[in-house]
Amino acid sequence: MSLTARIIPCLDVRGGRVVKGINFENIVDAGDPAEVAKRYDLEGADEICMLDIDASYQERSTTLTTVEAIANQVFIPFTVGGGIKKIQDIEVLLKSGADKVSINTSAILEPELIQHASREFGSQCIVVAIDAKKEGDLWSVFTHGGKNKTLLNAIDWAKKVEDLGAGEILMTSMDKDGTKSGYDNELNQKLASALEIPLIASGGAGTLDHLVDAIKIGEADAVLAASIFHYKEISIERVKEELLKNKISVRSNS
Amino acid sequence: MQIGIVDYGASNIFSVLRAISFLGAEAKIVTNPKGLKSIDKIILPGQGSMGSCINNLKKNDLFESLKKSLSEKPYLGICLGLQVLFSLSEESPKDKGLNIFPEKVERLSKKGNLKIPHMGWNQVEFKKDHFINNDIPNSTNFYFVHSFASKKLNKKNIFSQTKHGEIFNSAVLHENIIGVQFHPEKSGDPGLKFLKNFIDWKI
Repeated sequence: MSLTARIIPCLDVRGGRVVKGINFENIVDAGDPAEVAKRYDLEGADEICMLDIDASYQERSTTLTTVEAIANQVFIPFTVGGGIKKIQDIEVLLKSGADKVSINTSAILEPELIQHASREFGSQCIVVAIDAKKEGDLWSVFTHGGKNKTLLNAIDWAKKVEDLGAGEILMTSMDKDGTKSGYDNELNQKLASALEIPLIASGGAGTLDHLVDAIKIGEADAVLAASIFHYKEISIERVKEELLKNKISVRSNS
Repeated sequence: MQIGIVDYGASNIFSVLRAISFLGAEAKIVTNPKGLKSIDKIILPGQGSMGSCINNLKKNDLFESLKKSLSEKPYLGICLGLQVLFSLSEESPKDKGLNIFPEKVERLSKKGNLKIPHMGWNQVEFKKDHFINNDIPNSTNFYFVHSFASKKLNKKNIFSQTKHGEIFNSAVLHENIIGVQFHPEKSGDPGLKFLKNFIDWKI
């Protein structure tokens, strides 16, 4: 009896539809968000993550409608990220049905946001997302969807946001993202041993072994993946079977 | 039949409200003593700290009336809604709880590479058969997010236990009063089943 490893499918949403594309290009429609989320729930997803990929001001009301539609159908933890800049953004997302919010760029531009948000809403609902790329022996943090390089290194930055009150770290390896060559287990393992809060590994999932390794070698508490689930290359059920075979405890799909 | 969800200004009431409505029951948000009188069953959800929960209940004039309602109506406390049933919590030792259970709520011990808060899906081992856990097999996983828990409790009040490094009481029971440390509103089908049983429970 112990805490199970979490499998988190991620939906990229634009204009109220799930979209899939490669490096934000060739974007194609992949269905209604609430229907896709419900399907993942039935397949045994442990949480659902939704990323608002063009979180412009105009799109905000569409996003909230989408969040509500998912929350009315899916009764597992639900994280929403994209374009969160201030306390009020978090408040409306939580009121619309998100259980957690994922903050990336704004956390770097204004670290106090993490502190204020975790005091106001509790650490459990503040996820800090980090995009990083390996440079020499260190991993540099990038903002704005990987466009702008910062002077921060991923491990120090993760420790800092943990101190500020973040409840979880969602670590995306930019080197691995989209490559289907496996998660960055070296980075994740270093982070996992430095952090006290849970670590969600993201970027690089391509095979069942990758998911197993992210937990066994990378020591992640949860694994996030998008395309392998969208394209139905691997089912969540199959992932859980494989994890069990490797003596990693999972939630049975009862 | 109306299920009242107590809103004291600091909790995830909407996810509970959504789950109850999804199950087809009539749910109503309760913000004052009058509202508490008009409903048939009480759900007290909660996230945050025990101290802020107690102080917010008091600020909204709900503390004493809630205490009174506990002797009359079926009650389901979720997360902090369980903890507030105890006499006190290590989290905010100055604030006295509802004292249904004279024991105290303690901090989960941090051992080795164990993560606190205890966040994620974990197994619930029921120690009793009750209408509320009908059709829910032992060792079913439910979703948890918390750093404090009940560890010591009179055996007759222990409804279920869960292990995170150490064993704690993941559900507690006293007559018409049930408290759960996990979040049934976020625990998929078994969670919905648990809430449905609470809706259908007759005492």
